[in-house]
Amino acid sequence: MPDFTLISAPPLAGYDRSFGDIQLIAPTDLAIVSIALPLGGEDAAKKAIKTAFGIALPEVGMSNVAKDKTSSIMRLAVDQAFVLFPSATPDAEPQIAAKLKGAAYTTDQTDGWCALQISGPGARRALERICPVDLHPNAFAVNAVARTVMEHMGAIVARTGEDTFLLLSASSSAKSFLHAVEVSAQNAT
Amino acid sequence: MSQINRIKGGLIDRSQSLDFTFNGKTMQGHAGDTLASALLANGQVLVGRSFKYHRPRGIFTAGSEEPNALVQLRTGAAQEPNTRATVAELFDGLAATSQNHRGPLGFDMMAVTDLLSPFLSAGFYYKTFMWPKAFWEKLYEPAIRHSAGLGRLSMQEDPDTYDKGFLHCDLLVIGAGPSGLVAALAAARSGARVILADEDFAPGGRLNAETLEVDGMAGADWAAQTVAELASMDNVRLMTRTTIYGAYDHGIYGALERRTDHLPGAGGKPRQILWRIYSKRAVLAAGAIERPIAFGNNDRPGIMLAGAVRTYVNRYGVTPGQRVAVLTNNDDGWRTAADLAAKGVEVRAIIDTRDAPAVCDVPGARHVRGAGVVDTSGRSALKRITLTDGQMIDVDCLAVSGGWNPAVHLTCHQRGRPVWNDDISAFVPGRDLPQGMVVAGAANGQLTLAAALAEGREAANAQVKDLGFTASRKAAPKAEDEAYEGAPKWHIASGKTRAWVDLQNDVTVKDIKQSHQEGFRSVEHLKRYTTTGMATDQGKTSNIPAMAIMAECSGKSIPETGTTIFRPPYTPIPIGALAGRARGTDFRPYRLTPSHEWAKANGATFIEVGNWLRAQWFVKGSEAGWRDSVDREVLNTRQSVGICDVTTLGKIDVQGKDAAEFLNKVYANGFAKLAVGRVRYGIMLREDGICYEDGTTARMGENHFVMTTTTANAVLVFRRMEFARQCLWPDMDVHLISTTDAWAQFAVAGPNARKLLSKIVDDTQDMSNEGFPFMACGEITVCGGTPARLFRISFSGELAYEIAVPARYGNSMIEALVKAGEEFDAAPYGLEALGVMRIEKGHAAGNELDGRITAHNLGMGRMVSSKKDCIGKTLSERPEMNREDAEKMVGFRPVDRSQKLIAGSHFINKGDEANMANDQGWMTSVAYSPSLEHSIGLGFIKSGDTRMGEIVRAVSPVHNIEMEVEIVSAHFIDPEGERLRA
Repeated sequence: MPDFTLISAPPLAGYDRSFGDIQLIAPTDLAIVSIALPLGGEDAAKKAIKTAFGIALPEVGMSNVAKDKTSSIMRLAVDQAFVLFPSATPDAEPQIAAKLKGAAYTTDQTDGWCALQISGPGARRALERICPVDLHPNAFAVNAVARTVMEHMGAIVARTGEDTFLLLSASSSAKSFLHAVEVSAQNAT
Repeated sequence: MSQINRIKGGLIDRSQSLDFTFNGKTMQGHAGDTLASALLANGQVLVGRSFKYHRPRGIFTAGSEEPNALVQLRTGAAQEPNTRATVAELFDGLAATSQNHRGPLGFDMMAVTDLLSPFLSAGFYYKTFMWPKAFWEKLYEPAIRHSAGLGRLSMQEDPDTYDKGFLHCDLLVIGAGPSGLVAALAAARSGARVILADEDFAPGGRLNAETLEVDGMAGADWAAQTVAELASMDNVRLMTRTTIYGAYDHGIYGALERRTDHLPGAGGKPRQILWRIYSKRAVLAAGAIERPIAFGNNDRPGIMLAGAVRTYVNRYGVTPGQRVAVLTNNDDGWRTAADLAAKGVEVRAIIDTRDAPAVCDVPGARHVRGAGVVDTSGRSALKRITLTDGQMIDVDCLAVSGGWNPAVHLTCHQRGRPVWNDDISAFVPGRDLPQGMVVAGAANGQLTLAAALAEGREAANAQVKDLGFTASRKAAPKAEDEAYEGAPKWHIASGKTRAWVDLQNDVTVKDIKQSHQEGFRSVEHLKRYTTTGMATDQGKTSNIPAMAIMAECSGKSIPETGTTIFRPPYTPIPIGALAGRARGTDFRPYRLTPSHEWAKANGATFIEVGNWLRAQWFVKGSEAGWRDSVDREVLNTRQSVGICDVTTLGKIDVQGKDAAEFLNKVYANGFAKLAVGRVRYGIMLREDGICYEDGTTARMGENHFVMTTTTANAVLVFRRMEFARQCLWPDMDVHLISTTDAWAQFAVAGPNARKLLSKIVDDTQDMSNEGFPFMACGEITVCGGTPARLFRISFSGELAYEIAVPARYGNSMIEALVKAGEEFDAAPYGLEALGVMRIEKGHAAGNELDGRITAHNLGMGRMVSSKKDCIGKTLSERPEMNREDAEKMVGFRPVDRSQKLIAGSHFINKGDEANMANDQGWMTSVAYSPSLEHSIGLGFIKSGDTRMGEIVRAVSPVHNIEMEVEIVSAHFIDPEGERLRA
C-alpha cells in the first residue's frame, strides 16, 4: 500500500448543463491517443489499424466508429489520427500501442485536451458564434472533423450525430473554452 | 404636442402607439416609425446643432446617409451619442436628446461661432493655432474639442454585451430593395444557400417609400410577399437590421446585426453581433443615395432630400411640412411633388433648374422653369425661399433633388475605382470589384424599377450558375421604368450667402473654392483641408457635389478631377461590437497549471506569463512583502527542498526512425548519439544564426524523444520544427505532437530532493545516484502504479528532478509532494524564486535570448557543433558574429554590496563619458541573492570572459543612477556543479 494516492481531476469533470434546446456535456473518461503513420510504413500502419479496429483509416477530415463501437478514429492529417475511447485509467497509450503492434507511433493525448459535447437543434446556432468552420449539414457531414480556432483557442470540431458535435481544445485553457461555448449557447437561445 | 404632421397611409402600425421623449418632452409615434419620422410627425423639425457653427439643423434624409439629425439615444450608462435619428427604430420609452449645444436647443450659446464664420473658414485651425506651440496641447485643442464635436460619451462602462460570429453562404445579397429581393429569390429558387442582409428593419428598400407597382400590386406589398416567401425557405437566411459594412478578401464580408437596439432592453442578450460572412459569391444591391444641390442657406431645418420626403409621406404617413416646394434638376424630383399632392399636402412650387416642360401635372403647384433657390429664411425652421428671379415663396419644407448616386461603397473596399457615367451624371462601379461580387440595380446605375428588377434576377442567376446550380427560369416581376432624366446642377450661385455642401462638417461652396485657390486641389487634399466627407456619414450626400464644385473651379470634368473611393465601414460600427466578448477577465483565454487550485488555496500570487497564470510566490505566515516569500523559497530550496510547477514549459513528443537525426539538425549541438535514458541540454538557432531557444531533450526510446522548450517559445519551436519536417526534410520519418498540457510536471530541487521523491516514486525505480544519475530520464510509476516520467535535470543548480504525471493528477501530485516533504520542510516555490535561482546559477533565459544574441555571446560558441550541419549554422559563422571582442555573458556584482543593480543598465569603462560610443554592454537580469546576501546580475559586456575582476560602471540614465560593478563569473553558486551530481 503506497503512502500517497493520486486522485484524478480532469478540468471539466462532471459538467452537464442545458441552455434551451442546447445540451452541453463534458464526456467523462474520454481517452485520446494519437497515431502517427511512419513514413514509408503507411500501408502497414493502415493494415494494422484495419486489423485493430475493424475499419479503414478514415480520409483526412473524417472520422469513423470502430467496428465494435468501442472507439472512433479521427483523421486529422495525412500522417496523423486520433483514437478516442472510454478509459478511466491512465494507460490509454499502451492500450492502443498494443493493438497496433508497433506499426504506428502513438502518443497519449488524453490529458492534453478537454472535451465538450454540444447537441440539440440549437447547437449550430451556438457554434456559429465561435466556430469559423461551416457546420451546415450539407457542408459538414456526419463524421466530419476539422481543426480550427475558437475564441483564440485551437480546437477540433467533429460532427458525431445529426445535431451533435464533439469539441476538443487544450486542457490548460479548459475554463476559457467552456466559457466560450457556454456564452455562445446562452447568447443563441 | 400632437402628431400634427401625421397624414393617412404608410406602413406604420397605427394600432400601436409608442411614447418617447425628445429633450425631455413626451411625444407619441407608432410601431414602424423611426425616431426621425416620429419627430417630424410631431412637428419637431429642429433636432440638432451643426458641428462647427452650431447652426440649427433638421432631418435631411430618411436613411443611414443622414448628415444632420444626430442625437443621443437612451440615458445613463447606455447613452449612445451620434446616433442617426433616421435609422433609430422607435420603441416605447425611447429617450432621445439633441447634441452639440450649450443651453437649450432653440437657443444655443455656441451659435455665436456662426457670427464668427468669416474667420472660421477651411484651414482656420491650421493657420491660427500655430503659436505658441506649447499652447496647442493644453489650451487650444481642449477648447476646440469642447466647442466642436458632437455627442458626449457617458464615461461609464457600456452595460450592454456584444457578440461575434461566422456565417457561410453560396450567395450573399447585400440590400433588400427591389433588385436585392429579386436576386435573393432567384438564387434561393436554384437551391443555393442565400443570405439576404439589409440595414433597414423593413426589407423592401425604395419599394416601401414609393408608390410604384410590381406585378400589379403596390411595391411594398410585393416586397412583403417576397420576403414572406424567402422567410419560408430553408436555404435562406434573412437578416434585417444588418449592415454589410465591409468587403474583405476572398468573398468575406463584415456585417453588423443590431439585435436589440429597437427594444427597450436587451434582455441579457447581446445588443449587436458582428458577423464575418464567408460568401462564395455576392450581389451588391445597395441602391442609390440622393444628392443635394447647394444654394444659399440650404441647411435650414425643413430642407430635405426629395426622395426622403417621399419616404416620410409614403412609408411613414408623415408630411415634413404643410406648404412644400420642390427644387430639382431631374424628373425624379417631380414624383415628390406628385406624391405629396396625392396625399393632400399643399405643393406651392416646383422649381426645376432645367428649362423644360412639366414632367407631370401637380395640382396647385407653380412650375418655375430654369430657375433655382438662392436664399432661405427662418431662424430655427424654414419659412421662406428666395428664387433666382427674386421672387419669394413661403414654405415650411423644401424638397431638393440633385439626382442619385449609386451606392458604390462596397465595390471600392479593395481599391476598386468607380467610373463616371455621363447618362446619370454619377459614378458607377468600376471593373475591379471584390472577388465574387457583381452589382445590380440602382447601385449599378440602373435607376429605374423595371431595369433594377431585371438586373437583380440576371445577376443572381449568373452567380448561382457559376457555382453549379441550375438557375430558376422564372421571369423577373413586371414593373414600369419611371422617368429619371436629369441635367446636372451642383450648386446655384447665391452671392455672399453661404451654400452648404457638407452639412455634417459645415463645409461650404466657398470653402471648396478656397481649397482650390490655396492649392489643395486633389480630392484627397480637398478632404483633409476642408474636412468634407469625414465623420459619421463619410460624405454620402456631399462627396460628389464637393468634387463637382472642385471640377468647376479647375475647369476640368469630374472624372478628370478624381474619384473618391471608400473604405470600410459603410456606416459606423460601435467599438463595443468590435470588441465583442473580449472584455474583462475574458479579454483573452487563460491557461491554468494543473496545480492551480492547490496554489490558489496555499497563498500563491499569480502572474500572467503569456496566457498562463503561474504562481509567482507563496505567502507563508506573517510574510509582509514579496521579497520575504521569495528569499525564503530560495533558501529553503538551496538548504532542503523546494517544489515548483513547471508544466508551462513546452513539451513536444518526437517520434520516428529519423527522430535522432532530425534533432541533430534542429539543435546546434549534437543529439544523434544521445543514449536512451539520457537527457541533454541543447540550443537552437534561427536561420540567421541567432540563438533563440534553449531546452532539454530526453531520449525515452530508440525512436522516441521528449523535448522540453521554454514556456515562451513552446509554440514557436513546435512551428519551426513542423516547418522543418514538412518542408526542409520531408524525407525524414519524424512525427511531432505537443504534450505540453498532457503532463503535469514539477521540479523538485534541493539537497533533500532525492529523499522526498523516494517516498513518492514506486520502489521499482532505483533512485540512487548511480541508478539514476544526473541527466538520466525514464518512464516510472508513482504512488502505487500511476505512470510518470522522471528527469534528473536542474535549472536551480541543486540536486534536482523534474517529475511528470498525467495532468489530471497534477493537483493531487503537488499535495502528495508537499505532504511527503513535510519532514524536510519542503515548500513550493514560484516563478520569482525560480528566476533568482537561475540567475544565481548563471542560466540564460528570455532576458538574455533577446533575438540579438548568438551562442558566441552566451559563451556557448563551441556548442555549435563543427562536425555536423544544423539550422542557422552557416550564418552563425559570419565573422562579425564571432569577433573576439564580442559581448560575452558574465556575472556582475556591485562593488558596494549594499547597492541594488538595475536591469537595463549599460556598462561604461571607468573614466569614460557615458554615451553610446563608449557603450561596453548591458545588464540583462538582476536579482537579490538571498544565498549571497547582495544584489547580483547577468549581462553582456565586450570580451567579458577575459575581464574577470575588472570594475566598470553600470549606468542607467533612465533612473539617473550609476554604480561601480565588478565583472565576475555568471555562476554565482556552485560553479563546479557538484550539487547537481550529488
